[in-house]
Amino acid sequence: MAIQEGLSTGVRETPREKLNIIDTDIHERVMLHDLAPRLPNPFQRYIKESGWVLERHMPYTQPTAGGLDRLDSKLPDGRPGGADIEWVKRQVLDECEVEYGILTGWLYPSMMRAWFEFATALATAVNDYQMENWLAKDDRLYGSIHIAAQDVPSAVREIERCADHPKMVQVMLPIEIHEWGDPKYHPIYEACQRHGLAVGFHHTENTPTCMGIQGFPRYFITWHSLVPQMFMAQVASLIFNGVPDKFPDLKIIMVEGGFTYVPHLIWKFDQQYKMLRHEVPWVKRLPSRILREQFRFATQPIEELTTKEFLQIVDQMGSDEMICFSTDYPHWDFDSPFQALPPGLPEDLRRKIFSENARAIYPKLPRKK
Amino acid sequence: MRQVVCKSDELKPGQMIMTTLGRIPVVVTRAPDGSLSAVANACLHLGAPLGKGRLCGTTEADEPAQYRYVREGEILKCPWHGFEYDTRTGCLLAEPERKLRTFQVSVEGDEVVVHT
Repeated sequence: MAIQEGLSTGVRETPREKLNIIDTDIHERVMLHDLAPRLPNPFQRYIKESGWVLERHMPYTQPTAGGLDRLDSKLPDGRPGGADIEWVKRQVLDECEVEYGILTGWLYPSMMRAWFEFATALATAVNDYQMENWLAKDDRLYGSIHIAAQDVPSAVREIERCADHPKMVQVMLPIEIHEWGDPKYHPIYEACQRHGLAVGFHHTENTPTCMGIQGFPRYFITWHSLVPQMFMAQVASLIFNGVPDKFPDLKIIMVEGGFTYVPHLIWKFDQQYKMLRHEVPWVKRLPSRILREQFRFATQPIEELTTKEFLQIVDQMGSDEMICFSTDYPHWDFDSPFQALPPGLPEDLRRKIFSENARAIYPKLPRKK
Repeated sequence: MRQVVCKSDELKPGQMIMTTLGRIPVVVTRAPDGSLSAVANACLHLGAPLGKGRLCGTTEADEPAQYRYVREGEILKCPWHGFEYDTRTGCLLAEPERKLRTFQVSVEGDEVVVHT
């Protein structure tokens, strides 16, 4: 199979308006054998000689046509989707007419539950690899700084090291079992705010849900349906631990949890805050206001909403500035910008979702062409 | 409109008393410094009688996880869901733009009197 053959979905059948799409979730895939030479020993040897691979706690494969990836994104040489920049350029940037894409990676050192020194070294290697092999290779690609948040001082040093890169727009953290609002992580958010970087939260295959032994229910479908629960939990943790109030210029984007849970959070958080504010006096604003001012939610995996249902959700959110489009390329539940959103949405709303809302939290993106 | 509530020495610092002003339910509170306040005796949430709640203080913080307990005897907490009100302004602490109606209250002779 020639490399050019892996092009199939997302193609528009009829000309439409130019959307200036900003895709807030593109998973570039760095291979461990490419990272290894960048690591100091003993970690390089742990990969090359001892067979280290990123830990995996999810007890299932992703039972889809291509596993984690869209089957047509897998490379002929056996590499997974997202591993080849030419394929990413064709299948998502070109075919989906993406003006700018935010790389969100797949190897999150912050999800490692041991060998934190290794995690720190990996973060540096992943960031350098991303800058050299992705950000420098296409003007449309912007990046995320990976850190090992288990060691907060080292994480802050890595943010400082990468923050001035003109195409690094956010710091990535995995949705995990611990509370990201915990004050011990606040230096990370302080560094992000100081450098004008957003914080992106994304779940992983290791993210537990509330059900099942160690957070994994009996079936993948249950786990995958419940992933938004953990996003909700982390939004609650961030707000009620005072992160947005302490860092009022910080922007937070929740990636790959969808957005239809947000109205519930708005109603529930405000109700609880009126009753229990005294427990969290460092929270100075109604949570609904915090959410609208400082949080964004990426669209994918969007449910199959009618136009009416979609507009009702936006109305219930009380803001049309919170939703940012994402494809989640190359993963199997990828959303095409041409088909994922229901037809007939107002032009102003489409422009905000596809472009302006993301642009507002990523100030390094160039002004609209 | 004017209503005598009680003898002044019947409402001690840290105490409150329910009354009506015409048909309006009112709760009169006395702060630890002796000052009086009067607000509508119905929570903005579900209308619970605030005078059956607690006259207490509240928390403030400049930093996450750093509590400061303040304003003892100046905060009225609803007996049902715990909504907190500033007795001096009637403001809901969680949403200060929402407030209870407040009333003038004074000591005339040895009596506590509320007025519209």
